[in-house]
Amino acid sequence: MSRLRQAGPHSSAPASCAKRQPPQTTRVRGANCIIFGHRPFQQRRWEAAIDWKKYHAAGVWDELVSPAGKARPGAGPLLRALSRLKDEDLKERQDAAELAVRSMGITFTVYSGPDAASTDRAWPFDIVPRLIQKRQWDAIAKGLTQRVRALNAFINDIYHSQRVLRDGVVPARYIEKSREFRPRCVGIDPPHGVWAHVCGTDLVRDKDGALYVLEDNLRVPSGVSYMLENRAVMKRVFPELFDKYVIHSVDDYPQRLAACLRSLAPEGRSSPRIVVLTPGIHNSAYFEHAYLAYAMGADLVEGADLMVGKDDCVYMQTIAGRVRVDVIYRRIDDLFLDPSVFNPDSVLGAPGLMRAWQAGNVALANAPGCGVADDKVIYTFVPDLVRYYLGEKPILNNVPSYRCVENESLEYVLDNLDKLVVKPANESGGYGMLMGPAASVQERNAFAKEVRANPRNYMAQPMLTLSSAPTLVGPVGSGQRMQPRHLDLRPFILSGAETYVTMGGLTRVALKKGSMVVNSSQGGGSKDTWVVD
Amino acid sequence: MKRGLLSRAAERIYWLGRQVERAESTARLIMVNASLLMDMPVRLPLGWRPLIHITDTVDLFDSLYGKASERNVCRFLTCDSRHPCSITNALSAARENARTVREAMPRVTFEYINDLHEFAHSELTPNLSRVKRRAALDGVCLRAQRLEGFLSQHMLHDASWQFLRMGSRIERGDMTTRIIDVRSTSLLPPGHDLAPFREIQWRSVLVSLFARQSYHAANGAPVTRPLVLEFLLCNPDLPRSYGYCLEALRRLIRSLPRNDLPLRACNRALQELSAADLGSLEGDSLHRFVNDCQVRLGELHEAIEQTWFRAG
Repeated sequence: MSRLRQAGPHSSAPASCAKRQPPQTTRVRGANCIIFGHRPFQQRRWEAAIDWKKYHAAGVWDELVSPAGKARPGAGPLLRALSRLKDEDLKERQDAAELAVRSMGITFTVYSGPDAASTDRAWPFDIVPRLIQKRQWDAIAKGLTQRVRALNAFINDIYHSQRVLRDGVVPARYIEKSREFRPRCVGIDPPHGVWAHVCGTDLVRDKDGALYVLEDNLRVPSGVSYMLENRAVMKRVFPELFDKYVIHSVDDYPQRLAACLRSLAPEGRSSPRIVVLTPGIHNSAYFEHAYLAYAMGADLVEGADLMVGKDDCVYMQTIAGRVRVDVIYRRIDDLFLDPSVFNPDSVLGAPGLMRAWQAGNVALANAPGCGVADDKVIYTFVPDLVRYYLGEKPILNNVPSYRCVENESLEYVLDNLDKLVVKPANESGGYGMLMGPAASVQERNAFAKEVRANPRNYMAQPMLTLSSAPTLVGPVGSGQRMQPRHLDLRPFILSGAETYVTMGGLTRVALKKGSMVVNSSQGGGSKDTWVVD
Repeated sequence: MKRGLLSRAAERIYWLGRQVERAESTARLIMVNASLLMDMPVRLPLGWRPLIHITDTVDLFDSLYGKASERNVCRFLTCDSRHPCSITNALSAARENARTVREAMPRVTFEYINDLHEFAHSELTPNLSRVKRRAALDGVCLRAQRLEGFLSQHMLHDASWQFLRMGSRIERGDMTTRIIDVRSTSLLPPGHDLAPFREIQWRSVLVSLFARQSYHAANGAPVTRPLVLEFLLCNPDLPRSYGYCLEALRRLIRSLPRNDLPLRACNRALQELSAADLGSLEGDSLHRFVNDCQVRLGELHEAIEQTWFRAG
């Protein structure tokens, strides 16, 4: 029997007549086409847009190119493929990427003050991927899991017996003075003893190639949707590169997240209703909130859509009436969650939410109060926490840090402000910190005063030189289209009934020459991150 | 299966449906009017002002423009940012709604709406030449159709879909009645009793609704008032007829939970339609009837809003 698809006639005869059509109407499609490979391969000479010999990442660890201008292990095929492209080709790819970002509506919102309308900006994307060897990644992923396990054990301990304080591993005053400690969370038992369900940990590499954890974002870390979107854009603009590598897929994150959230549902809820709680369309990460809701098949809700009943259960208004909500993946800060308990002016949350959570009728992810471990001073203790709670040797290293609240450290920090980065304990997005080497004397003096007045709120680290990767920013026609730009990496770790680490993560890149600020709100862009065999 | 779509999402999807339909029908209206004017054997006093009546924006238009010239009317309807229902504004609103319900619709939907929005904003500018205007309006319709086609073939036909369709059908039914109203009453000044023009008048009603060919397919060659009215208001096979839209709305409403109120409103409109003696409607009586249709659609909209969008 012929396996050819029957091509029907162009008349309106019923399909059953097709069988009786003379054979020429079922001719093999494409039989007259040129067979692939018959076209002569055109050897052309072109001016290289990229000359890796001219690529200099001086004094910096480059992820793809060694100081001698050679490819790092695994990067060869990528670098060769790139150097086969002419200026026009590169421009074409870059334009295609920009178009894809625009048409896919991949945006982030820039908050420009209370009166100004916030604007939606296209996500800046660089077409050169960052590579990580799978073997190396496995070790990092193990280290991340270990870290998050310890952090969760710590949070749970803090809201229960506080063994860690009594044993003197972390001095009690750090918790007493923590802005993120929530007395209302004391004694609560979230499912699986897990508080930080979604963690975004920032990793950096120093100039010698050593990998460090820069911080653990436990409150409402964002960026994972961009990790997923970067891959989607890359598939559109550089499909042929995918033939050269076995690239591990990142696609399953939303399903993993959904499974993680489902595992938190109150007992006896057979098909739990999961919602993503967003502050609304003006939030910088609104795109991500909508993206994740869509990808998980969850509802995207705002505070006004939720209400807490007399039975201490959370409901939302649907077309079928009120429906009970079981798990809330909240993307608003603790203090806005419940105006009846925290900030009374908040219109972002829903009154009674804390009551419902305390009663165990709804799961909140991340759990309120988990920010107590997302504190740049507590960060300095994480290796100790790994040893203390897990009895294991920490796999990942912290950046060496000074706690300003300790007298000798404070003196050292104040004497060496020009060499250090000083960070406030509870800020995120790169705000409120001092980059010592780049700051003016006046800025440093003003900052020193701040630190002296409130030492608990600060920690300091030596200025790292973040590693770089080739980025398409150089001038056209120079042979130096690729320039090294500094970057970091934010993998995401999910903890529920099970633990999951993303394959790679979000690579953020500082697009300005010499800059190490990778935040998208401050001139940062991003790259696709490939974990390859 | 999800137990119930979030009310706020339902409302935004419904409006998304309305806004895209509104943009498309406004674009078609302008194209048809332009071609109609060129068809007229003599200069009848019809010009561009009827479009302002059809869209019910007389006061706003008069406060912004002096004369209902082709240029002014087209600018007002396509890209005037001061007119809330201009094509560009309708599409901005649609895009904003799409942005807030991304999770409830297929991913690509947003790309299509985004593209439609960007296209309209870059191509629809004041003072376009006729050729360019035509191309831009065509482009808007094409993109709106692509969106609708994609959704009907790929979107899960769940509650989100029902609301999207409801929005588009209610808007379409509304536009059909408006076109009948304005085109049938304002074309000929009283006493202008010339048979050939009469036929042109009713033909223009058909053309405005893209129903001329279908009309001839269903009714043969003669174009008469009773037949045209019957066709545009009642024909069950014409997707833009008022009756077709109501039937579609009834089916959509039936598939949704807690549908008493909207179903009653819809049935009432259908009953009035089937009870009407359409052949006898002319002049004032026609205007009153069509006005009633619009009131019924308004009531239906309120019933939908009250039942599914408001807390209860």
